[in-house]
Amino acid sequence: MTVRRDPVTLRLCLFVVRAAARLVPGGDRDAWRQEWEAELRHRWMRGGISRTAEAHLVKRSLGSLVDAAWMRRQLTLDADLVHDTSHGLRLFANAPGFTAIALLVFATGIGAATAIASLADALLVRRLPIPDADRVVTLWERNRKTGVGEEDVAPGNAIDWVSKTMSYSAVAAIEPWSLDYTPRGGEPEVLSGARVSAGFFDVLGVPMLHGRAFLPHEFARGADRVVVLSHALWRDRFGGDPAIVNRVVDLDAEPYVVVGVARPGVELRLFEARREPTLYLPKYFLDFEPRIRGTGYWNVVGRLKPGVSMVQARTELDALSAQLAREYPANTNLTGEIVALRDHLAGGIRPLLPLLLGVAALLLFVACANVTNLLLARGVTRGREFAVRQALGAGRGRLLKQMLTESLLLAIAGGALGVLLAKWTLSVIAALRPADVAGLERIAIDGRVAAIAVGVSLLAALGAGVTPAIQLSRAAAATALREGASGPAARRVRGLLVAIEVSVALLLVVGAGLLVRSLHEIQRVDPGFARAQVLALQVFAWDRNTTPAKLASFFEETIDRLRAHPGVDAAGAVSAMPFIEANINLRSPIVIDGRTPSPPGDDPLIFTTVVAGDYFTTMGIPLERGRLLERGDRADARKVAVVSRSAARKFWPGADPIGSNIRVRVSGRQTEAQIVGVVGDLRHDALDRPARPEIFFAHPQVPFGSMTYVVRGQPGAGLSLQALKQQVWAVDPRQAFYRTATLDELVARTLVARRFNVFVLSGFGGVALLLAAAGLYGVMSFSTRQRSREFGVRIALGAQPGDILRMVVREGVTLALAGVAAGVLAALALTRLLRGLLFGISAMDPWTYAGAAAGILVISAAASYLPARRAVRADPLVTLRAV
Amino acid sequence: MNVTLPTTLVLQAVARGHHHGFDVMDATGLPSGTVYPILRRLEREGLLDASWEDAAEARDEQRPPRRYYAITADGEALLVKARARFRMPKDVPRARGLKPRPSES
Repeated sequence: MTVRRDPVTLRLCLFVVRAAARLVPGGDRDAWRQEWEAELRHRWMRGGISRTAEAHLVKRSLGSLVDAAWMRRQLTLDADLVHDTSHGLRLFANAPGFTAIALLVFATGIGAATAIASLADALLVRRLPIPDADRVVTLWERNRKTGVGEEDVAPGNAIDWVSKTMSYSAVAAIEPWSLDYTPRGGEPEVLSGARVSAGFFDVLGVPMLHGRAFLPHEFARGADRVVVLSHALWRDRFGGDPAIVNRVVDLDAEPYVVVGVARPGVELRLFEARREPTLYLPKYFLDFEPRIRGTGYWNVVGRLKPGVSMVQARTELDALSAQLAREYPANTNLTGEIVALRDHLAGGIRPLLPLLLGVAALLLFVACANVTNLLLARGVTRGREFAVRQALGAGRGRLLKQMLTESLLLAIAGGALGVLLAKWTLSVIAALRPADVAGLERIAIDGRVAAIAVGVSLLAALGAGVTPAIQLSRAAAATALREGASGPAARRVRGLLVAIEVSVALLLVVGAGLLVRSLHEIQRVDPGFARAQVLALQVFAWDRNTTPAKLASFFEETIDRLRAHPGVDAAGAVSAMPFIEANINLRSPIVIDGRTPSPPGDDPLIFTTVVAGDYFTTMGIPLERGRLLERGDRADARKVAVVSRSAARKFWPGADPIGSNIRVRVSGRQTEAQIVGVVGDLRHDALDRPARPEIFFAHPQVPFGSMTYVVRGQPGAGLSLQALKQQVWAVDPRQAFYRTATLDELVARTLVARRFNVFVLSGFGGVALLLAAAGLYGVMSFSTRQRSREFGVRIALGAQPGDILRMVVREGVTLALAGVAAGVLAALALTRLLRGLLFGISAMDPWTYAGAAAGILVISAAASYLPARRAVRADPLVTLRAV
Repeated sequence: MNVTLPTTLVLQAVARGHHHGFDVMDATGLPSGTVYPILRRLEREGLLDASWEDAAEARDEQRPPRRYYAITADGEALLVKARARFRMPKDVPRARGLKPRPSES
């Protein structure tokens, strides 16, 4: 016998039969299945070839479900259930339109709710691969004046927090650290790692995959040439070989011993860049570090002691911060902030989550309301059936039971479809996830969420089943023999449900609209520089340029080469590159000559930046007054500086800064300089953060090693990063690049979370709108069908079809108007939750509200127009006779 | 037992030589979910005889053997009565069109 593969259709039929066979009691099952299979196969061989014949066969195989249910009924006690099931299945098969719409509505509601629940579950409830993850917290600085929080911590503060707090069983400071590594025969690359103080691996509480963590004596000068590899680095660069432990690796041209390999899946999203360290080194505190208070670039993580609550830890940190604020002027506005690791990992999506959970509940409610409406409407056509059954002795409970069984059937099928839909939605969400949100790449529907979905479908079934069942069984005896459940009470309930659906849709559309407008507004913000055609290449060039003179000549030479590269318009370099992840944010007190100096240590802070080459022209930063820094500003010339507009306004209010002499600390040295120019303001971290007061120095006068090259290409030149790197390698072949990107990419990165929120909220807003439109359409087509006799009479008596059209549409729009009014009120109350996500518009933006309301009314008019048109097109004679 | 119109149609179809489930459906126009339970009931009541088709023939067609239904003497007797009750001419081939559609009632 040759191996053959059955055609898809036949396989589908056999699948149905096999599934149905599970219903058949064990003793008869095999024979039962054989009979069905034999018939199907026989029919197939005889000529089930044409499309219609195939469809017919599929339909026939579905009957096996009824047959199997019948077989089961012979042996089971709950004959009612079996009967109702088969009865229900038959009814659904007889009303494919109704069934399709009801299934779709259920699937959409359940799918959206499940997707949101899974999202929330992944971000808030999921298990982190860390024991007692709920006790692990991250500590940050918060500026009380600007309200900006979750900021990296200044070393001095981090050291005090680590050494003076009592709430933690382990607490550690983490310093970003990078090391050059050149694989044998490869290009030099920068490994971004972290120096971690003692206790870091105790905070995580996770044993090493291979080897060990650091020993106490390794946190000391001279003993610290040991390294723990992250799992990703170990796998990608060292071939996942466990024998790496105790081997020596050359980093920054120095030998380091690999002592351990960390486990995968432990993510912390540290530092401004929210990147994972790829390797860990021991951190011991250096003498000067406690003095650095104004510049935050460290992180602090801790594990709460058993019995210590988050509130207690916060109180302790607040008290300590207040004390530090009194001791150090740089700390005046600073306070500490404790964020649970789980919340920190949820990143920019966190403010949206409570809202999304609310949305999930609302969507599910809307889906239930819709199905309730559909069942109610259908109940009318079945009024007679129920009345007859009641007259023949069926109890009210019996009828209720049947209705509930039917709803459950719908809910189970809808739930299954919904889970599929949720799965698809989540894969779209995972593809679009912002980089600062951890854990979405693994998001999947797990058993618990599936259980939630099943529970939700069952609840939905009860919700959708109970109302029509009660209404119908109550109405059945008295009225349904004549007219069905069309009384004014039923009509009011249906109208109310539709109005609520419309209000939910309006609420979501307004929310999405506000986010879309905010995104639009923020994209119009001028960052202060021209983004197009500019490439950024970040280097840390300290290692082989050990003197100021060497640093100066290295950058002069490399920038000259970059400028001479074909297709390059302008090139320069800067210490504080706007929008780059690992930004250098150095601040210093500024003292202005001729002014009464502030009390020592109380000078206002200014951001200090070093620029080389044609930085300003490359970035398109406009000169407002005076002159830019020039090639003539050499090491031996008089030191000069340029300030940004907001620095000029802040430190020289109402006066011209040009010509004034200042003293600041820059590149580790106290520096005196004369202001020679004012340039435009730059945004640095994000478009929604204000520009900062900044002072720029010429690189030859204050050489600096952590720089980012900026290169502007001629339009259409299509510069290659690799070619630009070659120009730098021509000067030093061992120079590694830390981060390379276009300026556009760097700016776009800061908008990803916002885009994601817009996508999620408008997606679900669209679903709500669809559901509301379906609900209104269902109610209107039901009511027009019911009133077809009335329309017939009206037309027979001379009414124009246009009159009836207008009447019906007016009715639908009135319902929608009620919903819009309620929705506006709800939105006014609830969009306050969105305030943190808005930019440039108010939560009560009238245009957004008007647009959403107008859109919904138009859709409502369309949803009422279609059934109305169908009604007036019908032949009045036919309708008069039929009803 | 309860002799309904579909029961009568099925019984008549078997009597007229439609011996397999799917053939009965073709002959009566009734859906599979209706025909099979009727066949099973009729068999249980002794109005139909059921047996399995010859295994060799099925093997040639690479499928399991079909179930074969034949009318019994009791079945014939019931069919005569039922025909009279539904005033059915002897050779009504199909019930399609006679079946009331509940949705239109």
